[in-house]
Amino acid sequence: MASPDAPLPLTRDTLRVLARAQGLALSEADLDAVLPLVQATRALLDELASAPLADVEPTSLYHMG
Amino acid sequence: MADLVWASMGEMARLVASKAVSPVELVRAHLDRIAALDGKLRAFITVMADSALEAARAAEAAVIRREPIGSLHGVPVGLKDLYCTKGVRTTGGSRILADWVPGEDATVVTRLAAAGGITLGKLNMHEFAYGPEGLNVHYGTSWNPWDPAAHRFCGGSSSGSGAAVAAGLCPGALGSDTGGSIRIPSSLCGLTGIKPTYGRVSRAGVLPLAWSLDHVGPMCRSAADCALMLRAMAGHDPRDPSTSTLPVPDYAAALTGQVRGLRVGLLRRSFLESAGGPQRQAVELAVRTLEGEGASVREVKLEQMKYAAGAAAAVISVEAYAYHEPWLKTRGAEYGGDVRERLLPGAFVSGADYLRGQRVRGLIREEMDRVLADVDVLIAPTLPIAAPPVGAREVDIDGRAHPMRASLIRYTRPFNVSGHPAASVPCGFTADGLPIGMQVIGRSFDEATVLRVADAYQRVTDWHTRRPPSLGR
Repeated sequence: MASPDAPLPLTRDTLRVLARAQGLALSEADLDAVLPLVQATRALLDELASAPLADVEPTSLYHMG
Repeated sequence: MADLVWASMGEMARLVASKAVSPVELVRAHLDRIAALDGKLRAFITVMADSALEAARAAEAAVIRREPIGSLHGVPVGLKDLYCTKGVRTTGGSRILADWVPGEDATVVTRLAAAGGITLGKLNMHEFAYGPEGLNVHYGTSWNPWDPAAHRFCGGSSSGSGAAVAAGLCPGALGSDTGGSIRIPSSLCGLTGIKPTYGRVSRAGVLPLAWSLDHVGPMCRSAADCALMLRAMAGHDPRDPSTSTLPVPDYAAALTGQVRGLRVGLLRRSFLESAGGPQRQAVELAVRTLEGEGASVREVKLEQMKYAAGAAAAVISVEAYAYHEPWLKTRGAEYGGDVRERLLPGAFVSGADYLRGQRVRGLIREEMDRVLADVDVLIAPTLPIAAPPVGAREVDIDGRAHPMRASLIRYTRPFNVSGHPAASVPCGFTADGLPIGMQVIGRSFDEATVLRVADAYQRVTDWHTRRPPSLGR
């Protein structure tokens, strides 16, 4: 049995709820099209978890000189 | 007259300044070519024939009156249709902005005009710059001039800029580059294009895709012409607080033709080794050519590049969604399906993920700076492939299928993430006659060395002088 703290799997239903919470009304066709792209994005973001980021600040204000 | 459109921008400027050619003649030659070819190429969204001829007549009068003139006086240019133009619609390649007419010019548009450049029109692009293929469902997808028989991608998002310059519809154009959108079409269309350092050129008045990844730069037929355009565009702009106050060098003066003693770092791992056979061979040969001119070459590695795709995904998805959110909620059906689907995932990326991406950028940038302390430039292929046919979703690289979009941005995106300057330079052709490009990447704000290497290479090779066969001279 999955832990109650485990993240919910990303499905059409969870995506629909997340979208509605942000005021996005996605059709069933939208959800079908977007779900794999969200999953792919999540997979890319998960790769960043192992990056050695101690003492590295964000470059959100990206002045180079 | 046909030869005139294939002259370099520098030569055009010299011909105008010496009164050998009138700017009116020059502009008419390009407008005639646009009229003859653009029905098929679909490089332009808006042709500004009347205002271009009016500007050309004024430029001609200035020469006759011996007034001081700029470095691009009387030379035609094209603008990707995300540069705001006062009184002229700026669509972003979209239906949403199909009738939007800005009240002022983008800073770089003003600067090109101040240098004497004459705008021929607004160029086609992937809708809102969000795609590396150059697809456009609203205005038609630009046709790559290098294959008149089959409709191939120009590459995006600056697809119209690629088609127009390659086909002789204009000698130089503005592109913009968030993940490769100057370098990808430059490679696929046989052009030289440079993404300058982040902060070198103003983004004020340029429709954003992702503010912290967007770069503005020129696409031309030679490094020398890129130097001419970049000098006219670059420099601090109070309208864009991310622009640097560093002085802008005379890039043309930096083109010495010399690379003797230059230290070149070849990016084999994660770059050259995964490219297609023709691309590997062409870049290897180009590196040997630089070596023959006196450069020293050694292989270098960028260990943190494995995080570039994730960092780019975190940043571009959130920034692009943030810009488009109001329209996605109210006018979502007006987007092309591919662009809408690419924008929506940004709604599901957290603030923590976004900032992790921005922190990883710092890591990648720091490593790039460290590697570039020991070499003067890096060399890599621009793309692992040549221009694919429109409609393809996968590409074949040495017998294995790879997803199209990821393949197109794999080698270019890391330098948007790091912000370093990177040019694409023609370095060969496939057996089918399709162009191959090589990237030259430099230190922050050292576009001069990037352009010097590109120009030195072009002085001893002729890839950049070849023209699409069916279009003739």
